[in-house]
Amino acid sequence: MIKTRKWSGIALTTALVAGLLAGCSGKNNNDNQGASPSGTSSSSSTASASASPETLKPLNFSFYSEDPSPNWTNMQDDVGKVITEKTGITLDAEFAVGDPVQKSALIAASGEYPDLISAKNSINKFVDAGAVLDLTDLIEQHAPNLKKLYEGQMSRLRYSNEDKSIYVIPTYALINNTPFKAEGGFELQHRVVKELGYPKIRTVADFEKAIKDYLALHPKDENGNPNIGLTLNADDWHMYISVTNPAFYTTGGADDGEFNINVDTQEVTYHFRRPEEKEYFRWLNHMNAEGLLDKQSFVQKYDQYKAKIATGRVLGLIDQQWDYDDGEKALKAEGKFDQGYGHYPVTMTEDTKDTSYWPTGFMAGYGIAISKDNPDPVRAIKFLDFLASEEGQVLVNWGIEGKHYKIENGTRVIPKEVNNRKINDATNFQKETGIGHYQNMTPRYGNGVKDSTGNYFTTDNPAQIIEGYNDVEKEVLAAYGAQTWIDLFPKESEFKVRPWGAAWNIPIPGDSETTIIENKLKDITWKRIPEAILAKPEDFDKIWDAYMKDLDKANVTKAEDLREALVKERVALWSE
Amino acid sequence: MKAVAAPLTNKEKPRKSRFWTTFIRNKYLYMMSLPFVIWVFIFSYYPLWGWTMAFQKYKPGKSFGEQKWVGLEHFRYLFNDDTFYLVLRNTLAMSFMGIIAGFAIPIIFAIMLNEIRHMAFKRFAQTVSYLPHFVSWVVVAGIVTKLLSAENGAVNEFLMWLGIISEPIQFMAKGEWFWGIVTVSDVWKETGWNTIIYLAAIAGIGPELYEAAKVDGASRLRQIWHITLPGIRTTIIILLIMSIGHLISIGFEKQFLLGNNLVGDYSKVLDLYSLEYGLQMSRYSFGTAINMFNSVVSLILLFSANGLFKKFTKESIM
Repeated sequence: MIKTRKWSGIALTTALVAGLLAGCSGKNNNDNQGASPSGTSSSSSTASASASPETLKPLNFSFYSEDPSPNWTNMQDDVGKVITEKTGITLDAEFAVGDPVQKSALIAASGEYPDLISAKNSINKFVDAGAVLDLTDLIEQHAPNLKKLYEGQMSRLRYSNEDKSIYVIPTYALINNTPFKAEGGFELQHRVVKELGYPKIRTVADFEKAIKDYLALHPKDENGNPNIGLTLNADDWHMYISVTNPAFYTTGGADDGEFNINVDTQEVTYHFRRPEEKEYFRWLNHMNAEGLLDKQSFVQKYDQYKAKIATGRVLGLIDQQWDYDDGEKALKAEGKFDQGYGHYPVTMTEDTKDTSYWPTGFMAGYGIAISKDNPDPVRAIKFLDFLASEEGQVLVNWGIEGKHYKIENGTRVIPKEVNNRKINDATNFQKETGIGHYQNMTPRYGNGVKDSTGNYFTTDNPAQIIEGYNDVEKEVLAAYGAQTWIDLFPKESEFKVRPWGAAWNIPIPGDSETTIIENKLKDITWKRIPEAILAKPEDFDKIWDAYMKDLDKANVTKAEDLREALVKERVALWSE
Repeated sequence: MKAVAAPLTNKEKPRKSRFWTTFIRNKYLYMMSLPFVIWVFIFSYYPLWGWTMAFQKYKPGKSFGEQKWVGLEHFRYLFNDDTFYLVLRNTLAMSFMGIIAGFAIPIIFAIMLNEIRHMAFKRFAQTVSYLPHFVSWVVVAGIVTKLLSAENGAVNEFLMWLGIISEPIQFMAKGEWFWGIVTVSDVWKETGWNTIIYLAAIAGIGPELYEAAKVDGASRLRQIWHITLPGIRTTIIILLIMSIGHLISIGFEKQFLLGNNLVGDYSKVLDLYSLEYGLQMSRYSFGTAINMFNSVVSLILLFSANGLFKKFTKESIM
């Protein structure tokens, strides 16, 4: 025991010293490089605007992002080189590995800020520390493209009622996005619905029956291992995705993080306290009692979950595509297309709608901030402005004309061989071309928006998506009378617009008590929900009552009130 | 310098002058140690200044003078939090189990290895036993969960083959077994490694002692009892005192990796609590308060263990 600690201590010290040295040298670099341009920018903004050759002078920004980007090549890819050529900017990027919230907290506390910061919800820590600049004037003076992009939405960029500065250029929220791809809902293997003659899959009862019937016909796979009815992914935060979020999707509640908000009165409820959701968990409890729920659901780790899916033995999932994709990809690579998954808009009863595609409207929030340590904020905003231009967006999304796409009869198309590499050799393709590297730093339009040439800004469009389906998938979709999975889901237009966007994206003031209470509530929920699901059906009510009592004890009403105040503030801020 | 200049006949300051004479004589040694003294100061003592944060409502980006002082508020919150007592219980329980198992087993193992006469086999056994030390906890956690899995897990299969159980047991879902699982995995991973230091200590025992014992007709067991064990007593006590000092700071890596939501009540430990409720929420001050508590308790434990051993066994590290 002691030995380990000593060694880890030495390793840690070495890492710290190395980090310190690296940090110091990095800082010096920036200072050197930043020294000359900052002089010009401070003199006057018009000076740097008029002298265009000077604005292209090579400049290096340090960049921090909460999202990982494992294939990052330091902008030495095709798209990156063009961006550098057009703006003179290179990025010295750091992407969070492991827990991003913790990493952001450390950076915010260190007092040494990267030049550009993309910190999602953690941005409040930087704002509290006074680490980021107000961009209102910079946008006004130097960023015509950003102004055009955010036209009519500018008030949504502001931070809060008390502080109406713009700290963040939103790069995650797409403007006028029409979803084309269904990624959520409940999933069933194609072979299940095919064998059962494409039964209607609309309620949890339908879903359960399909699994039950198929299991009765095929209890084991070809190797004699038992097939698994339904497995859940409950490893750490995946708990939200696969276990708790579906509770509101199936009961008509919108995704507002851990809360349910009445769209008219803006009354906030911790969503587990809704009686409808109790019934959802009762159904999961019933699935467990019937032996249809995988016993390993709450014990398995994420990698084991994916590996299990890759065996093809799991008939049903309740998860998002990106969360189980690796497993399904393995199945597709082996040519087991009938063990791939389709998405179904399953709800508790037929008169509730699956709320997966309840629109949020344009949501500011996640995006890039410019720190006070940035040597040249004008160049930084111009860099973002270039990315937001039509040229920039097409470059980031499609790549380079003639190389990654071509124009046939006025339409942008991706040549077949390029598309093949994009799908089948995704990692190397991304490393070489840089397509996919810069999206999260680009303020941009969403799917379905057309540029001045009448082409889509993004590469995702219905035709492209249908082309990506395999034959089995097409067959199943045809049997359900749909072209893409999203056709099965309720449309965006069927829902009332929420004037606050979505509650999970409202920044919480750093010292708010609600952070602590909500974490306590999370601890209780994550303990009680698995307990309730795995309990004997006759004990379910007892555990649920105890759970509700724990929530009360942890001050759930106070958290609700604090959230409600935040939501109301956001509505006031946005509707000004 | 003055002390040296003072006449040696001065009976008042013989101690002092003796110190300075030694100092001058060993000046190069002192100079050589200076960098390390500075190093220790910078890395171990200077950061203690940060403890002031525990009494502030610390906000990054503000200078020391601008921080708001809140006195003992964070400690009051800490000692009123039920979760704190839960994680403290888990930490201490796993710590004690770890110390008991992590002490007895390596010592027994070292003695057994020492008794093996076949050198090649001894080396082989030693190497194999300490290899797991180099495997990261991520991998070990994966192996443990696989072994204990209710679905084709080796342990369950074996127990069912023996006929002891008729249905697979969900080992990882039973909170009350969690401490045991952590301890056993730790023993598997670290026994070999911890054995090395005892083997080294045993190697230092003079062979003439054993020869004399043999002449007196002592059996193998008698030799172990009267020569080997007393021979490594100092090592055992020093290591024991040091690990008692670390009792409360056991890290959270293995508990975090082996745990899941079903066993949360038994798997959450103090370090994880300070991470979740401190750093992750930017409550730097609260995090500091927890760590202060940690350090103070460790210090008390260390000194009392040291004192007790000094009194009863005349062995100590200070």
